[in-house]
Amino acid sequence: METRVIKEDKLAGIIERMSQDMPVFAPVREEDNILFKQLEKGQTPLIRFANSKNAPKNFFFPHSEQMMKFTRTENGMAFAGAAEGAKESVLFGVRPCDAHSYLLLDMLFDQKEYRDLYYIDKREKTVVISLACVHPPYSTCFCTSVDGSPTAADGADILLTQIGTDYLAEFITPKGEKLLKYFADALRADDNVLAAKKAVADQAAREIKSHIPAKAVKPILDVNFEHPFWNTIHQKCLACGTCTFLCPTCHCFDISDEVKGNDGVRLRNWDSCMFPLFTKETSGHNPRSSQKERWRQRAMHKFKYFVDNFNAIACVGCGRCVMYCPVNIDIRKIVEAISKL
Amino acid sequence: MENPYIPYPVKVAKIITEVDTKDIKTFRLEFVNKEDEAKFAYTPGQFAELSIFGKGESPIGIASSPTQPGYIEFTVQRAGVVTSELHDMEAGTLMGVRGPLGNSWPIAYLEGKNVVIVGGGFAFTTLRSLLNYMIHESNRARFGNITVIYGARNPGLLLYKDELEVWAKRSDINLNVTVDKGDAGWKGREGFVPTVCKEVAPSSENAVTVICGPPIMIRFTLPVFFNLGFSNENIITSLEMRMKCGIGKCGRCNVGSKYVCKDGPVFSLAELDKLTKEY
Repeated sequence: METRVIKEDKLAGIIERMSQDMPVFAPVREEDNILFKQLEKGQTPLIRFANSKNAPKNFFFPHSEQMMKFTRTENGMAFAGAAEGAKESVLFGVRPCDAHSYLLLDMLFDQKEYRDLYYIDKREKTVVISLACVHPPYSTCFCTSVDGSPTAADGADILLTQIGTDYLAEFITPKGEKLLKYFADALRADDNVLAAKKAVADQAAREIKSHIPAKAVKPILDVNFEHPFWNTIHQKCLACGTCTFLCPTCHCFDISDEVKGNDGVRLRNWDSCMFPLFTKETSGHNPRSSQKERWRQRAMHKFKYFVDNFNAIACVGCGRCVMYCPVNIDIRKIVEAISKL
Repeated sequence: MENPYIPYPVKVAKIITEVDTKDIKTFRLEFVNKEDEAKFAYTPGQFAELSIFGKGESPIGIASSPTQPGYIEFTVQRAGVVTSELHDMEAGTLMGVRGPLGNSWPIAYLEGKNVVIVGGGFAFTTLRSLLNYMIHESNRARFGNITVIYGARNPGLLLYKDELEVWAKRSDINLNVTVDKGDAGWKGREGFVPTVCKEVAPSSENAVTVICGPPIMIRFTLPVFFNLGFSNENIITSLEMRMKCGIGKCGRCNVGSKYVCKDGPVFSLAELDKLTKEY
């Protein structure tokens, strides 16, 4: 594997130089938020930050996305072209938990049958540069409980790890190696650096203080669909959908059409299993008729159904749903409780 | 690589109003590009997304049989935005079809067996596809006895009236059409589907029943077939759920770990027993 060691003060400049050649999306501060945005000319990205409020999943699976266009003809609305393809670009500063989510979304959108070309096109054309959490930023981080680690390379094309005043760049994939030229002045990592990386990684993992038995609950969920436990967790839920919108792995969507004059577009927009309309049928029948069924679906999908289908838990331990739930529903406590059923 | 979200353009070639209440119509669609018909190769029991640009999509079972080349048919009840727009259409209008989607009736499993088709009301559409497929001259020999029990609330609500007459004349179909309540002109059988199933009493010997209908009909019909000795493996039905993508990604039509759109809509009772009852 190719490696490079660069000084911290060079890193922002390297990313800025990439942005002269292609769109680079990176964390920037906007008002009180840290958001992933396209770097403007001369703009440098944030290097030291905790994590963005929104998961950076919208680069591959946008909040709202045009799927195709149509136009009015004498005989009704007719297809007028698919959405434009993606551009080659760079996504810098993705935390390992969020990069891990890309592998999970790949499993769903890039199945053998029915490949989702909108997602796949963007994934293939984007180089993901991850920034390891050498000091996991939040008390709610629990990536190590769900097959992740604060310094993991999963889902990254290049992984950057801060080691003292240096950054170690590991070029994980051929797609990542294409950006080697931007690191031309830097040296390869020697054994000392690689040993230091291991120490940093071990220390980072030790700093994760939140641990949940996420991998132990699947056999319990297998046999407890009707358990009275499900009558308890949803009661304070407002069905606002914040958890699903901030979740890096939630992938549910709606398809809807919009028309202006003679032209229209078919859009796909994020949807949420927390919403009553999500499953409500035209007849009025709703198989998930109350928030109880919807919460059971959310928990089951993450820790059982996705495991059944893809042999992976659909949670990366980023903690966003814990931090931003307006009524403090905590998925960690739910998993804990399920483990004791 | 084809984009599975982009529909094939089709033309509404013919619209048949099926019922007295005029809210169920059969739409015959022809592919605008003839080569798309081959790409849309389907098996009875599959469904498709009927796509009306500007309104949206609606998942509907395919009512025609692959033995009827040149077109595909869908029998649709006027219900929501898309189906209402469809009902307001005239022949000649352009629209789209995306599919075929889902699994199908287990044709290979049915071969060499006696097949009992039980349908109630408007849910007869993909059963009609199966029946027309099995009785086609190139297929008929591959299946044993065919028994059909089809009921509607009243004679005006029976679908495919012309075909019912044709099927009644064939000696190789045991056709039993019933209505809950007849009218002045009705000469046929009266009675609910479960009762008629009991009267017809098809043998479970080397037989499979394929059943579609409203939940209340299913609930009272299943015990009849259990009593006749049909096992859960040999009772097969089709589920409906709200759907959008039709390809197992948008996340709403799952029953447990299975997506009705992709892993279904056809399940045997044995398979359904393994799933949660969330449908």
